Amino acid sequence: MDPTLQTFENDVWWIALIKVLGVFVLLLLLTLFTINYERKVVARMAVRPGPNQVGPKGWLQSLTDGLKLPFKEEIIPRTADKVIYFIAPVISATCAFTAFAVIPFGPVVSIFGQQTALQVTDVPVSVLVVLACSSLGIYGVVLAGWASGSTYPLLGGLRSSAQMISYEVAMGLSIVAVFMMSGSMSTSEIVAAQGDGREVSLFGLDFTAPGWYAVLLAPSFVIYAISAVGETNRAPFDLPEAESELVGGFHTEYSSFKFALFFLAEYINMITVSALCTTLFLGGWHATWPITLWSGANTGWWPMLWFLAKVLLCLFVFIWLRATLPRMRYDQFMRFGWKVLIPVNLVWILLLATVRVLQTSDLEAQTRFTLIGAAVLVVVLVAVLWPSGKKAAPAPSLAEQIAARPQGSFPLPPLDLQVPPSPRVARQVAERQPADVSSDRSEV
Amino acid sequence: MSGGEATLFWILAPLAVIGALGMVLARNAVHSALWLVCTMLSLGVFYVAQAGPFIGMAQIIVYTGAIMMLFLFVLMLVGRDASDSLIETLRGQRVAAIVLGVGFAGIVGAGLSRALAGTGAIGLDAANENGNLQGIAQLLFTKYVFAFEVTSALLISAAVGAMILAHVERAKGEKPTQVDRMKARFAPGSYPGPKAGPGIFATSDSVATPARLPDGTFAERSISKILPVRELTSEESALKGTEK
Amino acid sequence: MSFSPYVPIVALFVLGALFALFSVSIAPIVGPKRYNRAKLDAYECGIEPTPQPVGGGRFPVKFYLTAMLFIVFDIETIFLYPWAVSFDALGLFGLVEMVLFIGTVFIAYAYVWRRGGLNWD
Repeated sequence: MDPTLQTFENDVWWIALIKVLGVFVLLLLLTLFTINYERKVVARMAVRPGPNQVGPKGWLQSLTDGLKLPFKEEIIPRTADKVIYFIAPVISATCAFTAFAVIPFGPVVSIFGQQTALQVTDVPVSVLVVLACSSLGIYGVVLAGWASGSTYPLLGGLRSSAQMISYEVAMGLSIVAVFMMSGSMSTSEIVAAQGDGREVSLFGLDFTAPGWYAVLLAPSFVIYAISAVGETNRAPFDLPEAESELVGGFHTEYSSFKFALFFLAEYINMITVSALCTTLFLGGWHATWPITLWSGANTGWWPMLWFLAKVLLCLFVFIWLRATLPRMRYDQFMRFGWKVLIPVNLVWILLLATVRVLQTSDLEAQTRFTLIGAAVLVVVLVAVLWPSGKKAAPAPSLAEQIAARPQGSFPLPPLDLQVPPSPRVARQVAERQPADVSSDRSEV
Repeated sequence: MSGGEATLFWILAPLAVIGALGMVLARNAVHSALWLVCTMLSLGVFYVAQAGPFIGMAQIIVYTGAIMMLFLFVLMLVGRDASDSLIETLRGQRVAAIVLGVGFAGIVGAGLSRALAGTGAIGLDAANENGNLQGIAQLLFTKYVFAFEVTSALLISAAVGAMILAHVERAKGEKPTQVDRMKARFAPGSYPGPKAGPGIFATSDSVATPARLPDGTFAERSISKILPVRELTSEESALKGTEK
Repeated sequence: MSFSPYVPIVALFVLGALFALFSVSIAPIVGPKRYNRAKLDAYECGIEPTPQPVGGGRFPVKFYLTAMLFIVFDIETIFLYPWAVSFDALGLFGLVEMVLFIGTVFIAYAYVWRRGGLNWD
């Protein structure tokens, strides 16, 4: 049975308390699991064993690390602002926990004789609660960087804030399309709206295609996925913690359990954006096609399993990205956020809105054509009036460049070296251009 | 007010007031900004408690961003450790400010109470009949559509204003490209090899200690231009007790 | 007794805050304390900490533009949410007014882009 907003108002207080505690414990366990999961997957991708000493197959490694940290010495730099240095990790961790209150794990089940939904609570503005928590979580990072009284953390904190606010806009815009399709901001209603699949016949095989918004709203999904990686400061967008430039970024000066809290918050944030991605785009706790052949798939406690499987799949993609991609340069990263993700997002939203108006309302043919014409006109106008840089003057030829060099310049190596064709590539003759010359080789 | 709402009010209202006072009284500008966050968060929770969940969440999301901007602004303007000066530059400024502030609050309060005295509330149940969000959308995009469209003009002026104040425009040719830099490096008169590193000496290994050339003079180009040249004090170069 | 569905959110918030506060306060008590002067210095990869410029150093005004643009788009996004949720009820009229709104903000965006405000260097 699908929960409605009314379901949550009927919860008894001790049921709510059990669910709150359950989510809290689940988050701690998931964090411990994810750290190990990440280390093992990255290790496999790098062809090495990964943690394999502590506990069965090394699965207790992160637990022992976590237990070790409080017993480490806590070092607070002399230049730190003590109070803010103290509360910054608390802000980070608290906001990370709170966001999970509105994530739906499953349908209505019976706990100790009480009918209740597998979700702590749901409100009409659930998704905004998650967004508010993530925007408050930025404070932990910025304040940690500021309060440390050290150069690297300050730079890391500022970078973080610029990065997170840039990608938060893209993330906020990407979910507008979901609201438009589902007509709601409550997570349980969004999951319910994705519940009905469509019958699809493909190559003589009948099956139910998922009503997932990842399929229906593919551009939104892609933008959400990219901005989620940017928002959680994960590779390839982990510039605030770029080791080669900023040591550890905002948490360089943190040690002992304060550092552990930042670590915890980072992993919970990763789990939260994965869970939100599952909820908004991957159908939430609803099982997908081959499983739905079994009629009991979406009842009882089973959906929690499908939900966790989807979340772990999203987390795997996070880890996969980290193992595969090199870190981006900061200017490329900001340019991508502001010049690609945001305009594409806005155009996509308007396009979707136009299509929806054409579909749903019974307009006259004339209005219909006017609308399509207006849309085409807008696209053409934007394309024509798009600010383009001035055309660069054609570069002078190599001979001219050499002649223009002043007397006594640094000696040049011979510039007409031929690279011999590679013996392994028989078809291709390597034609290598010397650096910084015009395209015309005959002038040399 | 129900019991729960009254409890919430008596917890959060003092918090909001303390935040506002702290914002005015804190000497460190960054602490001021943080007190303001406290006040804004309390207000956001108030809105949610008064059956306006959307406006409450919008308050939290937008104002955290806005205060973040204030925070950055403080960092940019005054640097990290700046504190207010407590010296009064204008005589009687404080007294005048308090009197005028209280007077202004009185006028606004009186004006609002007079203006709203005759207005009958239709009640939350009627207003939120189709849901809070839908109710807001119906009003905002039909009755108050002009105000909504005018907001975009406000946003334009904010963006353009920030652009004019903060942006230093550089034409494409002004910024040296990698090719320009390489040419400058190999131009006659400049030494293309690596720069001498800052000194590693027995008493100091700071990047602020310049390297020495073979004749014993300091190599000016070995230290970064943003660092002032300094000699370490005896305290700085003393043993730090790490050998224990 | 029924209660507001917002209460569990507050409960989780309080629980998380208690956990975080407890753990950051307990760590200095159970951890060892072997202080020396070098540990209290700011970390700069082992060299003597760079002398801080007077006033703690200022930051590029560049960040201000990013923050301001963020606010502009944040407010635009907030307006988009109720519009999207009740889009079907608003219909064509809603579409037209949102095109006007986004178009107007887009002018500012294109201006900032054209003047190079989005170039990060």
